[in-house]
Amino acid sequence: MEYKATIGIEIHCQLKTNTKMFSGAPTSFGRKANTCVNEIDLGHPGTLPAVNQEAIKKAIQACTALHLTIDPLVKFDRKNYYYSDLPKGFQITQQFHPIGRDGYIEIPTSTGKKKIGIERIHMEEDTAKQFHLTKFSLLDFNRAGTPLIEIVSRPDMKSGEEAESYVEALRQTLFYIGVSDCKMEEGSMRCDVNVSIAPKGSDHLGVKNEIKNLNSISHVGKAVEYEIKRQTELLEAGEVVHQETRRYDEKTNTTVMMRRKEGSVDYKFFPEPNIFPIQLDPSWIKDIQEHMPELPEARKERYAKEYGLNEHDIRILIADMEMSKFFEEVMKYTKNAKAACNWLLGEVSAWLNKHETSIDKSDLKPDMLAKMIALVDDGKVSSAQAKQLCDDLMEGKDPEKAAEEKGLKQVSDTGALTAMVNEVLDTNAQAIEDYKNGKGRAVGFLVGQVMKKSKGQANPGMVSKILEEELKKRI
Amino acid sequence: MIKEMVNHPEDIAERCQQAYEKAQASQDKLNAVITFVDPKEQLEKLPSQGLLRGVPIAIKDNVCTKGVRTTSGSKILSNYVPVYDATITKKLEEAGAVCIAKTSMDELAMGGTNLTSFIGPAHNPWDTDRITGGSSGGSAALVAAGIVPMAIGSDTGDSVRKPASFCGIVGVKPTYGRISRYGVIPYTSSLDHVGYFTRSVEDACVSLQVLAGRDDLDLTSSNRPVPDYSQALNESVEGKKIAILANVVESVSNPETKDMFNKLVEKLKQAGAIVEEYHFDDKLMKAILPTYFTIANCEAASNHSNLDGIRFGVREDGADMKEIMTNSRTKGFGPLIRRRFVIGSYGLFEENQERIFRKAQKVRRLIVNAMKDCFKEYDCIIAPASSNIAPLINDKNDGDKLSADYLVAENYMAMANFSGDPSMTVPMGFESGCPIGVNLTCNAWQEETMFTIAKAIEDITGYKDLQTEVK
Repeated sequence: MEYKATIGIEIHCQLKTNTKMFSGAPTSFGRKANTCVNEIDLGHPGTLPAVNQEAIKKAIQACTALHLTIDPLVKFDRKNYYYSDLPKGFQITQQFHPIGRDGYIEIPTSTGKKKIGIERIHMEEDTAKQFHLTKFSLLDFNRAGTPLIEIVSRPDMKSGEEAESYVEALRQTLFYIGVSDCKMEEGSMRCDVNVSIAPKGSDHLGVKNEIKNLNSISHVGKAVEYEIKRQTELLEAGEVVHQETRRYDEKTNTTVMMRRKEGSVDYKFFPEPNIFPIQLDPSWIKDIQEHMPELPEARKERYAKEYGLNEHDIRILIADMEMSKFFEEVMKYTKNAKAACNWLLGEVSAWLNKHETSIDKSDLKPDMLAKMIALVDDGKVSSAQAKQLCDDLMEGKDPEKAAEEKGLKQVSDTGALTAMVNEVLDTNAQAIEDYKNGKGRAVGFLVGQVMKKSKGQANPGMVSKILEEELKKRI
Repeated sequence: MIKEMVNHPEDIAERCQQAYEKAQASQDKLNAVITFVDPKEQLEKLPSQGLLRGVPIAIKDNVCTKGVRTTSGSKILSNYVPVYDATITKKLEEAGAVCIAKTSMDELAMGGTNLTSFIGPAHNPWDTDRITGGSSGGSAALVAAGIVPMAIGSDTGDSVRKPASFCGIVGVKPTYGRISRYGVIPYTSSLDHVGYFTRSVEDACVSLQVLAGRDDLDLTSSNRPVPDYSQALNESVEGKKIAILANVVESVSNPETKDMFNKLVEKLKQAGAIVEEYHFDDKLMKAILPTYFTIANCEAASNHSNLDGIRFGVREDGADMKEIMTNSRTKGFGPLIRRRFVIGSYGLFEENQERIFRKAQKVRRLIVNAMKDCFKEYDCIIAPASSNIAPLINDKNDGDKLSADYLVAENYMAMANFSGDPSMTVPMGFESGCPIGVNLTCNAWQEETMFTIAKAIEDITGYKDLQTEVK
């Protein structure tokens, strides 16, 4: 029998704010344990939550980028459960009135673009981190209270590829608009995937399994594919798929059962009494929406229109926001977008990879790269020579000076080139004869001879031009 | 009383030391204090000015005081020393008040008798065989015993106003949002108010002046400017429209209390007030107590989920975190509290919430609407604060819990917690040598009107600076 898979994804994303969701303590990553906390984050008796306005702003930006309808009346609820990483014994979240509803994101797939629905985005607070050792457990409350948004997709995905593409598209969008760092490996973006399968053509859904805490985009795809395979095999063998919470094991590329779900937990949700509903000023929302950072899609269109770059180049350039930012800096000093793009995606990227660094950390200066492009365009340096100057350029040196130091200047002096051309013609009568007989090859051969004579420093474009002129004179 | 103290700065050190010693000396009889606070350190840091400069005060033990143990009357917090000050602790300190004691209270403020504190019952200074009322009983006892002129309490159902009635003093609960709750260990967030006790309406005005105001750490606190409350003392009660809460008066079983109240009403009329009977729907009046308990238990069960022994408080042993939490909570709370948590959780369960917790919220709304209707016509609602004087500590007879006397006369004051309206109790008279108070409630933010009428009552009864010597 053939089966169809239905996939829905829940993503928790830490918002990039200076302070926590409900307290003035700093947000942090990688700081000494329990140093970024105050009495509120620790759930001390008598503390009260104060809503972080910046977090609301970031949530509105996320909703706007993903086309959700914003609820201007912000309300919070309590989700009650006991766990040692939950200081208050309840989490403040938005169960009944999420800040955003009904949006979508467009994702690229191998069969073209596809719209994936987003059911809701709500704000909540993160929990503490636990470290379970053999004889005791350690708790780090630095993360407790960090602002989160939870993005709940509709079950619109059908394959591992689509799931992967969805997470990547969300990651890129949220990172671009500065809402989150979206570092899956550091946990600032966490992904739970629900997978179920049902016979093709049937109108009901199969039993759903949740794979928790996937920490890289490739794991998302692999986990989904494995899960589809596992569930299919179970059904094929006449067995039952149980509703389970599973985790992905990267060593074996499989998913492993954590616990079986029997009825859902009653979180006793009720409205948070310490935060009155907050009516957002419509002009504030409008202001945020009118001053949205540029979205990746808009940037793609702009690069095509403004710089005339092809889709392939644009996609690669945009995938790395820092690279894209640098490209725009370079474009302040040059008009040759294609050359700038080629440099960045070619020599520069190769150099960065080799040196295991990134564009924002390198010494490369946008105006110097533009100068390099101009040197090549003006024929002062050949492309081959330019490659030899890459190290200097990446170390922040002026390429013109570096070329001079290395004696890599291209000969573009008409007089000198004409003399060289004639010297070559004088010793290559046969080639002139071939040219006369219409053998196009001859010109290439002669250019090569001139380049050889100049030890590669002659401007090949000018050599061709002068050669044609001198040949005509000799016919 | 407070003004006189502030006007005599030369006596500050002696006055505060005396209050501290007197509180200690009274402990055998009153058992009103959980932790004594030596005033010396505070006296060294006393600000040069302040409305309460050099005034010894006591603070209920659910108000966080940095570095000074704060237990909320519960065993589970019996070792808890806060790392931060409540906003009102800071305000009192800035106004120059000197705290000499953290006072006894019902465990987690969840009681009306002050019999359930982990240190045992508090005793009424007028008759130490009687209860102080609760949950702010320790604070009420110290003020009534003349040890401090002002003490902080908190009021979720009537936890300031009932003990004020039983102890013969002034007990105020201003409008919800008037005083910051930040740092006050909660009971029921939507009903909790910071309140306080004094022995005169004048002192009540000064105290509110210090405590009131917006606090960015409490999102439910109000941005309204704080008026000069003492101005209210100069206003006349003439022409003020006062509604007698007839349902309560009719439910009072004790004829002496009724008589006392009626005499007060006559005198208020003579002073120029317009006093008329006003009936609420009796069904709503009888619904106050069950509505209160439902909302209170549900919110409290959630509010106190942080008391798990993991980060602070008394931690019991266990094989894993879950067992540590379970054991700490089981052994850390008294039986009444555990029962209330179970009832509260039950009311919040998804399958029950609509017909229990949410329904109670709807009834609360109906009661508040009825009060707002009344305030369209009247400036104030008054009624006896209790049917009787403070019960005996050893009185095992709970009485008929479904009688009008219990349901309405003894437990109606929570209606002002439902609406958040300002409400206060002032002494009305004595029966068998023990005091009994009258309660007045005004519309939201009308504290000044409330103080004007309270002052008129104080003038009528002459019960100003009422106190008793603890023998």
